[in-house]
Amino acid sequence: MSEELISKKDLLDLTGISYGQLYRWKRKDLIPEEWFIRKSTFTGQETFFPKEKILERIDKIQTMKENLSLDALADMFSPNISDLQLEKDDLIKRNIVSDTVMNFYLENDMNGLTFQFQRILEAYVLEKLLQSGEINLDEGKMVLQVLKDNAPLIKQKSCELVIIRKLGVSSCLLLINAEAVYLEPGTKMVASLSLMTCMEEIKSKLL
Amino acid sequence: MELKNRGDLIINGIGASNGGKFQRVILNGRGTVNSDLECSDFECNGSGTVKGDVIANTAKVSGNASFKGTIDSQQVTVEGTAKIEKNLYAKHLQVSGKASVGGKVKCEEINLHGILAVGEDCEAEIFTGKCRFTIGGLLNADQVDIEIYGECKAKEIGGQSIAVKQQKGSFIGTLFKPFLKTQLETDLIEGDIIELENTIAKVVRGNQVKIGANCQIGLVEYTEEFSQDKNAVVGDSKKA
Repeated sequence: MSEELISKKDLLDLTGISYGQLYRWKRKDLIPEEWFIRKSTFTGQETFFPKEKILERIDKIQTMKENLSLDALADMFSPNISDLQLEKDDLIKRNIVSDTVMNFYLENDMNGLTFQFQRILEAYVLEKLLQSGEINLDEGKMVLQVLKDNAPLIKQKSCELVIIRKLGVSSCLLLINAEAVYLEPGTKMVASLSLMTCMEEIKSKLL
Repeated sequence: MELKNRGDLIINGIGASNGGKFQRVILNGRGTVNSDLECSDFECNGSGTVKGDVIANTAKVSGNASFKGTIDSQQVTVEGTAKIEKNLYAKHLQVSGKASVGGKVKCEEINLHGILAVGEDCEAEIFTGKCRFTIGGLLNADQVDIEIYGECKAKEIGGQSIAVKQQKGSFIGTLFKPFLKTQLETDLIEGDIIELENTIAKVVRGNQVKIGANCQIGLVEYTEEFSQDKNAVVGDSKKA
């Protein structure tokens, strides 16, 4: 995936932030290390960022930092799972998971009604995929299995969930730090979901 | 951390332990801990080795200690020499001797009166000291305020306010001056307020840039103010 890049200097001009702020946000892990792309130019090394992502992130930080401390923001953006526990009813009340999907989830996962972050994420992913009609219930079970089997990985890295289908047979992949996926012509990519984005969405719903 | 019912680990003389959870860990003499340690206070007075990670409230090295893992502690004090092969996380780091870290350093406040060597990035809110340092990656600190003694190196330096000063001349300093070069060498310095002395840098970018004596800078890019000492060499300066 070749993205449009923006140099550090242009970024600062465009957004009006200072070097101090940029470095501070980097220290607080508000901007992920992977976004700092070093390239050599005629003036020596320069740092570039993926334009769309960084602008969106800076916009988010700037609008939210008035209400939240930087540390709270960092918690929100970091893929590390906070020690969060919610009850089933809470999740439904906060519109993270709908009633039907919640019942389906609980049929397949008997670990009780208290949800830690990992389980919230699983339920939320199901919610997104099932509600949009992209997958059916059987595929939902498959997705859940993949998420459960790879739970430790999801916590650490930026993962992407991809569901493909060929001749009516579906399969589910979990990509870690992947740049791109290429499929055989007859295969259809049913859905692709960045788990990082999901986590951020959940967190912003919780705050 | 529940610490009340934990015992202490004290090794006097030569001894080894398998690690675990303790209240206090004191290594006097040649102590070796073979795996991870979790404790409230860690102290090493002789020559100690920990072959795992250390999680502690306070960690103090007064002798010679080597850690094969990561240290995660509120307060880290190094008065002798400490060698950490992985990362160092602390709220407050005080180095009066020599500390070398193979991985990265992440602290709120770093106060140096000795030598610090970091393999990867070094991050802190406040980075102050009279020191010599070598940083393999980026030195990222809100406030950098250093007096350099000897040869300092960092790949890049970034932050809000960055001040690099030469050590105040002492008698011994002037005697040995021809042999020891007090100099900071770096590729790139970026900050809002930058004040430099005795620095060699390829590129300096900032809002207010003040280049002092004995600097050699390839390119200065500034937005508000720029001044240059007559004993400094600046290849090119541009107002952005």
